[in-house]
Amino acid sequence: MDVELLRMITHDRGIAYAMVAPDLHILATGGALAVLDCEPPLADCTGAALVDIFPELIGCESALDDILRGKLPRLEFALVNRDTAAGDIVYLTMVVLPDRDGQGEIQGLFFLVQDVTDRGRMVQKLAQRRNELSLTRRELEIANVELQRLSDTKSQFVSIAAHELRSPLTTISGYLEMLLEGDLGDLAEAQVEALRVVDASAQRLLGITDELLDVARIESGRVDLSLIPVDLTGLIRQVATELRPRIEAKSLALVLSLPAAAPAALCDVTRSQQILGNLLSNAVKYTPRDGRIEVRLTSAEEEGFLEVVVADNGSGISPEDQDRLFTRFFRAESALQTDATGAGLGLYIARALVTLHSGRIWLESELGKGTTFHVTFPMA
Amino acid sequence: MLRISKKVCLLGDFAVGKTSLVRRLVYDRFDDRYLSTIGVKVSRKAVAVSGDRGPVDVNMMLWDLAGSEEFTRMRASYLRGAAGAVLVCDVTRLETLEDLAGYVLNLREVSPGAEIVLAANKVDLVDDHHELLERLDEVALALGARYYLTSALTGDQVEVLFRDFAVLLLSSDKSARL
Repeated sequence: MDVELLRMITHDRGIAYAMVAPDLHILATGGALAVLDCEPPLADCTGAALVDIFPELIGCESALDDILRGKLPRLEFALVNRDTAAGDIVYLTMVVLPDRDGQGEIQGLFFLVQDVTDRGRMVQKLAQRRNELSLTRRELEIANVELQRLSDTKSQFVSIAAHELRSPLTTISGYLEMLLEGDLGDLAEAQVEALRVVDASAQRLLGITDELLDVARIESGRVDLSLIPVDLTGLIRQVATELRPRIEAKSLALVLSLPAAAPAALCDVTRSQQILGNLLSNAVKYTPRDGRIEVRLTSAEEEGFLEVVVADNGSGISPEDQDRLFTRFFRAESALQTDATGAGLGLYIARALVTLHSGRIWLESELGKGTTFHVTFPMA
Repeated sequence: MLRISKKVCLLGDFAVGKTSLVRRLVYDRFDDRYLSTIGVKVSRKAVAVSGDRGPVDVNMMLWDLAGSEEFTRMRASYLRGAAGAVLVCDVTRLETLEDLAGYVLNLREVSPGAEIVLAANKVDLVDDHHELLERLDEVALALGARYYLTSALTGDQVEVLFRDFAVLLLSSDKSARL
């Protein structure tokens, strides 16, 4: 190779080179010698053993021999790290090539070293970030498993506690019913009134334990649906009838906008009744006296689904609370300001049950103006 | 004194502590900041051991190779000429132990006769060694390697591992035994 041309190319590219004899001693050096900050300086290395200056080549003697014998075209080490006297890291690329004479015969080795520190630093930053992200993700996965384990333990506890509470509550409720119906003798008016208060509290406790049991079943994946074709208009009327006493007690206007003939939905009767009951019961709870509730059944925008709409002109829910409304034990601020009681589990359960039906549940609400819940069920 | 040089590669997933082991061995220092190695960093450690014909200075050229996946392709050229490899895993991440078999395959393709040893690193971070030792027994047996419970932080077993490995490299070096 033309020596002047070689000098220009290597200087231009920041490459230092060494011509190496077959016995691996350096014959000459050139190019951008300053790229390699070593002791002795590369310019003074003529006569030195190549591996003394580049210990990275120790152990590679057989590969160098293969290059000398024409069996290996090149040997390259990318991104070799070297510490500088200042404590920084420089990155070098080292390449060994055969040095051929004019006849193409291999007369030695041609060793090139290029400073690629700028690229190396970028690669290092990328690798560092990727590795740190990977470690963080792993830590999060472990934390997630632990959280899931704790959640399972909590669900198990809730399930056991709810079961244990339910049995005595059922007994209490049964005896209260017998007392109130006079099966155990006549009671004074004041005694009946007192027992009615006790009965209302017992029913409320039973409702909460049932909700807790549902939460435990949902979280452990133990809710089995028995999907059959169901006439939702009939189901809506049934739920409305059950709530009639509470609706009348608050002088609410309940409007049922139900089509004369609607396709059947594919759903679990008991669980669908529970979903609709929850939505309508909430509407009754949070709508003031003389308010208005409307229940509509229509085709949903999504093909193959029916949509039930429960709209009230009650207290409404703030945008911040709407985001958390379907989480466990959450009660909206507007709900807390009323006399209405609840554990904050109804909508959480409703959403889980709707999802199990492959449906969707969402709401629109404005404080002081009312709330509209939408729930979809697949058509049979 | 007879002096032989051996190329020893450190292999294992990223962040298992390969660089820290070398730093502890060569400089007797530890830095708990994690700095990903890219490419390769070559360090030198001479270990004096007893050979058949007297003391031998085993000059180990320690090739600390990047563990990140993106360097897998270039790893083959780095492994060329390796007399041995220290396989490093992180005992707090047992998947890094399972991954070692892949590194051994890479090594064997380039240097079939290379000796191997296993450094189960960061042992200072584990209290219960029972499950770890069971897995280490299995993996070490499958790989045909001795293992050491090391800690670059405390220095536990680091020198012992490299000294024993130097003896192993010497014993497998035919030229040194002649």
